Amino acid sequence: MADVVGPGTGAAGAWHADGELLAVYAAGRLDVAGTWSVEAHVTSCAGCRELAGALVEPERLRRGRAELIATVDMPHTGVAERLLVRLGVPDHSARLLAATPALRGSWLLAVATTLAFAVLAARLGSGPDASLAFLTVAPLLPLAGIAVAYGPGIDPTYEIGLAAPMRSFKLLLLRAAAVVGAAAVLAAAASLALPGLGPGAAGWLLPALALTACSLALATLVEPLRATGISAAAWVAAVLVTVQQPGPSSVLFAVRGQAAFAILGLLAAVVVLLRRGRFESDRAFDTTPRFAVRRLR
Amino acid sequence: MSTYPDHTGSGGDTELLAAVAEGDPEAFGTLYDRHASWLMLRLRRRTADLDLVDQIVQDTFLVVWRDAGRFRGSGAVGAWLWGIAIRRLLDVQRGEAAQGRLGRLLGRRRAPDAASAEEQALAALEHRDVIRALNRLAPELQAVLQATVLDGLSTREAAALLGIPAGTVKTRAMRARARLREELAGA
Repeated sequence: MADVVGPGTGAAGAWHADGELLAVYAAGRLDVAGTWSVEAHVTSCAGCRELAGALVEPERLRRGRAELIATVDMPHTGVAERLLVRLGVPDHSARLLAATPALRGSWLLAVATTLAFAVLAARLGSGPDASLAFLTVAPLLPLAGIAVAYGPGIDPTYEIGLAAPMRSFKLLLLRAAAVVGAAAVLAAAASLALPGLGPGAAGWLLPALALTACSLALATLVEPLRATGISAAAWVAAVLVTVQQPGPSSVLFAVRGQAAFAILGLLAAVVVLLRRGRFESDRAFDTTPRFAVRRLR
Repeated sequence: MSTYPDHTGSGGDTELLAAVAEGDPEAFGTLYDRHASWLMLRLRRRTADLDLVDQIVQDTFLVVWRDAGRFRGSGAVGAWLWGIAIRRLLDVQRGEAAQGRLGRLLGRRRAPDAASAEEQALAALEHRDVIRALNRLAPELQAVLQATVLDGLSTREAAALLGIPAGTVKTRAMRARARLREELAGA
């Protein structure tokens, strides 16, 4: 091993590797003691590290650096997104879901606050009266979530959504399910706090699902915001029309009304399925250009 | 190059790590500029696969980006980085899903005293006798000492790296030390 070289043991004081020694090390021709010596020293000596750095191809370093900075600069994954990923939702779906405006903390807080007021009203007010108010308000919350879950100007990922390698329809269903699920959990928790309502406290659930399905079905005809508005107005009107004063109660929350909502929800779901092609073209969602065109005319 | 003092010593590096822990990409870039090339060079002495080396360095810095706040050591940042890199290499070579394991290892790595141990080894290496003794050591004994002393791996980790039972690592390390003592006594 004629070309094996020993370490440069300097005089007393600071020992430093020189360029030649480092080159021999990099080539793998340094003996064991020399290798150890270099490794132990350079690892904690900035000057020698810089010297050694010149022996690595700059192209590799540049590429590695660019990749790392790109990775690090990616948007921070929030708690919701990480939770979704952990639950087995694929990365891209998790990001789109987590970016749903209606799943952000502020919206959930608004839903929780609304429910809290409804429950408070029910507890303070005369029981049945306020409970009816709760049952009326609860189904509107997922609707509001759906309304803000889509559309330019509201959804920060609207453009991403259009460009996403996922069909808009699938995304729509994903988000709708997530929004309804989140609102339903909160409303279910709230209904537990209602005084003396018993099983009837769940009366908002079927209307909520049916209204959501109706909104989606309507969204194949008009803009999502208008679709949810129509559904919400129809719901409030239906409650007002059917309310019976000795009680007060509404047939909507009785068995017959609930059955009707189940059927309505199923019908709306069928409509959504049949017309799902409408969600693929961006016309149903992109209101801005159409307004612009109208104005130009 | 950056707002961070570009001078020797771990003082600047420790400040850099603190900034990285705060999520400062510029500090992260500077840390990469200072340490990546040496990590690559040193890893290339452990594996011949250049692309694998690049990947290990990437992984190491991603761990740093995530866990920079866990650096508590008074030792050199360079030694800490090496501790992460060598274990990452170990994980890859064992073909494990490294994520969980790496986390466990990071939890109980002994970064603080690693640097001082290496400095001591270096100080000892300045003596010609030790150099000669080390160079005369059988390759398998050298490998064990390198893994346990220089790379700061535990017995179990060294066993995995070298592909031998943990018990063998212990006996070889003992034999290596005995050989060195003999050589030095005889010199």
